[in-house]
Amino acid sequence: MSAVRYRDSTVVDFVVVGSGAAGGVLARELSTSGFSTVVLEQGARLTPADFEHDELKYWFLGGITNNDGRSPQTFRSDPEATAKPTGMRPALWYARTVGGSSTHFTANYWRFHEIDFIERSKLGAIAGTGFEDWPITYAELEPYYSKVEWDIGVSGLAGASPFDPPRSRPYPMPPLPVKSSGVLFERGARKLGLHPFPAPMAINSKAYRGRPACINCGFCHGFACEAQAKSSTLFNMIPEAEATGRCEVRAYSYVVRVDTDARGRATGVAYLDRAGREHFQKARAVVLAANGAETPRLLLGSASSRFPDGLANSSGLVGKYLMMNYSARVSAVFEHELNEYKSVQVTRVIHDFYDADPRRGFYGGGGLDARIGPQPAMWAQRLGQEGPSWGAAFKARLREFPRNMIVLGHGTSLPVATNAVSLDPTVKDAWGRPALRVTYKDHPDDLANARFMQDRALEIMEAAGAQRVTRAPVNEQNFGMHLLGTCRMGNDARSSVVDRYHRTHDVPNLFLCDGSSLVTSGRGQPTMTIQALAFRAADHIARFARAGEI
Amino acid sequence: MSPTVVSDTAASDTAVHEPAAAVHTRRELLESALALLGVAAVSGFAATRALANEARSSTTWRYFSSGEAATIDALVAQIIPSDDTPGAREMGVARFIDHALADFMAPLAPALRLGLAEFEVTCRAQHAGAEGFATLSSEQQIAWLQQVEHTPFFNSVQQLTVLGALSMPDYGGNHNGLGWQLIGFEDLHAFTPPFGYYDRDYPGFDAAAGKS
Repeated sequence: MSAVRYRDSTVVDFVVVGSGAAGGVLARELSTSGFSTVVLEQGARLTPADFEHDELKYWFLGGITNNDGRSPQTFRSDPEATAKPTGMRPALWYARTVGGSSTHFTANYWRFHEIDFIERSKLGAIAGTGFEDWPITYAELEPYYSKVEWDIGVSGLAGASPFDPPRSRPYPMPPLPVKSSGVLFERGARKLGLHPFPAPMAINSKAYRGRPACINCGFCHGFACEAQAKSSTLFNMIPEAEATGRCEVRAYSYVVRVDTDARGRATGVAYLDRAGREHFQKARAVVLAANGAETPRLLLGSASSRFPDGLANSSGLVGKYLMMNYSARVSAVFEHELNEYKSVQVTRVIHDFYDADPRRGFYGGGGLDARIGPQPAMWAQRLGQEGPSWGAAFKARLREFPRNMIVLGHGTSLPVATNAVSLDPTVKDAWGRPALRVTYKDHPDDLANARFMQDRALEIMEAAGAQRVTRAPVNEQNFGMHLLGTCRMGNDARSSVVDRYHRTHDVPNLFLCDGSSLVTSGRGQPTMTIQALAFRAADHIARFARAGEI
Repeated sequence: MSPTVVSDTAASDTAVHEPAAAVHTRRELLESALALLGVAAVSGFAATRALANEARSSTTWRYFSSGEAATIDALVAQIIPSDDTPGAREMGVARFIDHALADFMAPLAPALRLGLAEFEVTCRAQHAGAEGFATLSSEQQIAWLQQVEHTPFFNSVQQLTVLGALSMPDYGGNHNGLGWQLIGFEDLHAFTPPFGYYDRDYPGFDAAAGKS
């Protein structure tokens, strides 16, 4: 736990809002660089002993994720319509706990490719979208991708994919043991002339940096790791930040406002403690890493007479260009048991269809992975929607559980300005703050790409010898867990919210770094890139601070 | 063998894994849930489980009347029937649902109760002289369910049945792990490879193998 305690009235060097994938990295990097840092996390601080194989709790009852009773959301697909409360199943799903969603992620850690950063230049504009190049290139981010692999802890095999972008270092750990889904996927893909490779995963394949190797319990996605083998910031960045003696992590601290002074500089943040009492943490600079939903929500909620449309929103783009990625699914049943419920969720991936190809008639690309289908209760819920739902036939299907796997085609989302997070005009959360309103409608190309990826997944499972392959319908999404693009980075203050160093164009001592910074969506699996951005941002922010340029 | 390709037309969503996916497909269930959501997410999981364990051995129902409980018990027994292996009845699914509606799924309870009443009324109207769904023969029950299997009420009970069969036994269902046993899930804390049939003789990854 935190060794150092700061008073609210102490002006710390940095206050970091959010302790997840990005916030954890920023806290560790800024505190090890010598700066006093307070991290404010709205959720609880949990320990490995709190983490259980409890599907009902984690998937159905909001165990560590959005509690609708306290933090409701509203959703609409039509930007002209009134958004409706989502109920128990939120539109955007993320963990509210120290470590953020890095506690419950699947831990797929592939890098974005060179093309992701320059796609607009290569392919041209796409009507009705904000499709743009990034202000940085893959080459600039590469050292930080390596830093993620070595400091966070990623298992994988360098050079295994012919489509991999250049890298300066190998992975620090070998790939995790292959599962039957990986073997079958590899078999099918190779028959089709494709290039499967061991999945890069932020899970220890051997003891690494004080954490043990994975025990193959199988409960990764949606669950926190009781073995601490999953490379969540809760287990690496957060304790390392605290060990500096300069970083305090304050749980149950719900930040509601960033305040500014007469010069338009941020003075700190107002937050509510567990009892609902308001505090104000003073800081020389404010870093928001609250995720692609909460960062823009906080900026919009910090509107003032000087910043009437929300803080750092002179571009009008805060909250806009939400991208969630699309995951198209097929499930497959084989003759013998796979037992996918054991071990990590994914062991084989292909990137053969990563690049967009105009000949397909739509923009998009993606990666496919072989995985668990998922754990029992969630799997069986879905099963009843994909075939018989009761009686002897349903019972027979239930017994197929060990012989089942799925393939997911992870794909692009185009940045569309009307896809957005904003403040709901009527619904309030338990603290009286405007609820998160989500507006989302997949671009037609995103759906076309999803169908394309699903076709490829189906071919691979057929080539692998599946007895039965089932497509999940490709419908417009109203649920997402990749929260991207809502405070995009760019060189032009009129068309972006933060600059290439994650500094807001409008407020010199306010930085934003999380999924909101992304300009394009990649092809799914954004956490690796979010953390590379966080390492890079921390380097530059520390440099500015040392030079007196904040 | 050529695989069967099934294109399912169910109006489910396509997100990877969705929480609380479709427990409340029915409009009324959803609206009811919205009115009461403060209790939807549990504040104390330990307390919830302690109550569930009590409920398992209890002879009284927490939410259902005995008549409602009889209908639910008969329904879940048709969803996962008992044959040479245990079904929903042996798994304690009706107790799980009763406990869930009294506790962590209380927002769904009023609408489910309404749906249940409607289910019984229409069932009796179709079966002259019958005392209720639970008193029909199994053949009659199956024939009736074939007529109502696409109703939101049946859907909700189906999904609660699945949760009752396969959630941690601590919540009152999946008695003695019978649900997990049915599907072939081993509740162990750790595993070692090989995990399944196809990874037993895997020769190791060879990047060159794919190049032609």
